[in-house]
Amino acid sequence: MSNSAITPPPRALVVWMALGKTLAELRANRFLANSKMRSALAILIPLSLLILLAPVLPLQAPLQTNLMAMMQPPSLEHPFGTDRMGRDIFSRTLEGVKISLKVGLSVAALALVMGMILGTLAGFFGGLMDRSVMVIVDILMAFPSLLLAIGLIAIMGTGLVPVVMAIAIADIPRFIRLQRSLVLGLRTRAYIDAARTVQASQFWLMSRHIVPNSVAPMLVAASISAANAILVEASLSFLGLGIMPPAPSLGNLIREGQLYMEQAWWISTLPGVVILLIAISFHFLSDGVRQALDPRTRK
Amino acid sequence: MLAYSLKKLLQLVVTTIGVVTLVFFAMRLIPGDAAAAMAGDTLSGAALERLREQMGLNEPLFVQFWNFLRNLLIFDLGRTMTTNLPVSDLIKSAAPITLSIALATIVLAIAIAIPLGTMAAYMAHKGHKTLDNLITGLAMIIALMPSFWTALVFLLIFSLTLGWFPASGAISWDDPYSVMMRLALPILVLSMSQVAILSRMTRTAVLDVLSEDYVRTARAMGWSELRVLFRHALKNAALPIVTVVGLSFGNLLNGTVIVEAIFTIPGIGTVLINGINSRDYQLVQVLMIFYALLFVFINFATDILYRALDPRVKF
Repeated sequence: MSNSAITPPPRALVVWMALGKTLAELRANRFLANSKMRSALAILIPLSLLILLAPVLPLQAPLQTNLMAMMQPPSLEHPFGTDRMGRDIFSRTLEGVKISLKVGLSVAALALVMGMILGTLAGFFGGLMDRSVMVIVDILMAFPSLLLAIGLIAIMGTGLVPVVMAIAIADIPRFIRLQRSLVLGLRTRAYIDAARTVQASQFWLMSRHIVPNSVAPMLVAASISAANAILVEASLSFLGLGIMPPAPSLGNLIREGQLYMEQAWWISTLPGVVILLIAISFHFLSDGVRQALDPRTRK
Repeated sequence: MLAYSLKKLLQLVVTTIGVVTLVFFAMRLIPGDAAAAMAGDTLSGAALERLREQMGLNEPLFVQFWNFLRNLLIFDLGRTMTTNLPVSDLIKSAAPITLSIALATIVLAIAIAIPLGTMAAYMAHKGHKTLDNLITGLAMIIALMPSFWTALVFLLIFSLTLGWFPASGAISWDDPYSVMMRLALPILVLSMSQVAILSRMTRTAVLDVLSEDYVRTARAMGWSELRVLFRHALKNAALPIVTVVGLSFGNLLNGTVIVEAIFTIPGIGTVLINGINSRDYQLVQVLMIFYALLFVFINFATDILYRALDPRVKF
């Protein structure tokens, strides 16, 4: 017991109060105040943690075979069971999720950046620039998206980089269209005219007025595109045109299990549930981003 | 109407030319050239040179392009590399299968989605939130299910476990019943995601109309609820629904490739995947053009139908 006038509060209380304060701040945050955003993060954060922790978790390595434990149904040791070579489906699924997230985020980022640049140029300058960009957009949009990606894979070959490129190229036209329509709407606003009257440069107009005002809807589109890219990558890998075995991706895991549907339902079914969860969480994310960034729905 | 159709037709022609050009030049981007890629490690030296000669790759580029266009116009699509069958015969036998799957899916999806969406809208309008939330929530989850996964689960349940539908077997048009049983599951799988999208769209469209003044007037005149729904709500909701059917046709074509692979159906999608796996680039380029033209044509038809259905547009 100390006799000093001011007793420092117990450390536990300090930590507790700080935690409470952080939680209150988090609750006030406009992204987290949103229930859809919270459900999305409730799936994505544990999933990302699992992926990051996978090397230290007591799991069999994704590529390690174990001929003593082939085609085992789900158990405590193998939560998703094992395949015909005794590989652990759960750790393979986690590895697949890693690839899925990589593909989803890279495609969304690529499509967002390319879409913003080309869409802004086309919408802002109009004329020949607009026409030449839109001709290519129209031709690319004449192909159903998965089929365009399949055609591009036929040219570029399989693997992670070609898959990302193929899906992104199939997706970019949509982003260009969206950005262009946003720019066309913004171009005639009064504040743009005001900036023009004080001799603002074209670059200033685009970087200070046009782009910041079109970011929100484009971000919403990007999170939908990420979900879509994950599904397309899975479809491509399922068709044998994406990520090639033995590297596990959710699509080729399902492809491998296809032959054993009757004897071992878990090989295909459980990774499929995981894809569904990821796709749903990205859609919730897009709804959440939309609500958080739309000033009309802000409290 | 005529002027509008002609304008759209012109756009159709321009896009078609664009698609053909893009496919032709994209195929020239293959590392090395198409002949080397097709041959892989099997041919070299004189044999490879002969294949190049056969494929016309030694001609100047514009001559190749011209020959390509001319052959497309007279439907001389070449022969497949592995089986040496005329590609046009292959398309003639595969296209009806893919097209019947697509058509049946659209019909089934419309038959299910429109009553479902209307019901959800009606419930939402009347304040019965639970049923509406159930339908819309379910629709979202179904729309996001990867179709290849749904297909596998259906195959497991309905073919392998319950044995209701055959999982494999030839498709011969002489036996319509067997064709129907064989195509039933793929159509069911594909229509699920279409129903999900279409019912949501119907719900939104009908819900918008239900709060219009003329619907209130109709009710005030003592019309029955059903009559109000059918005479006013659905009729006005038809326009957005037509648009969505046209737009989601692309997704439908994507889906046919996948269900054909799973249910081993010899449609265009299967031919395409086999073509890619055997590196038959001449076959692949023809099929890419086939899919694109089909999609473009459906969009054209939707545009025309939309204009024809809209009574506000006078000609």
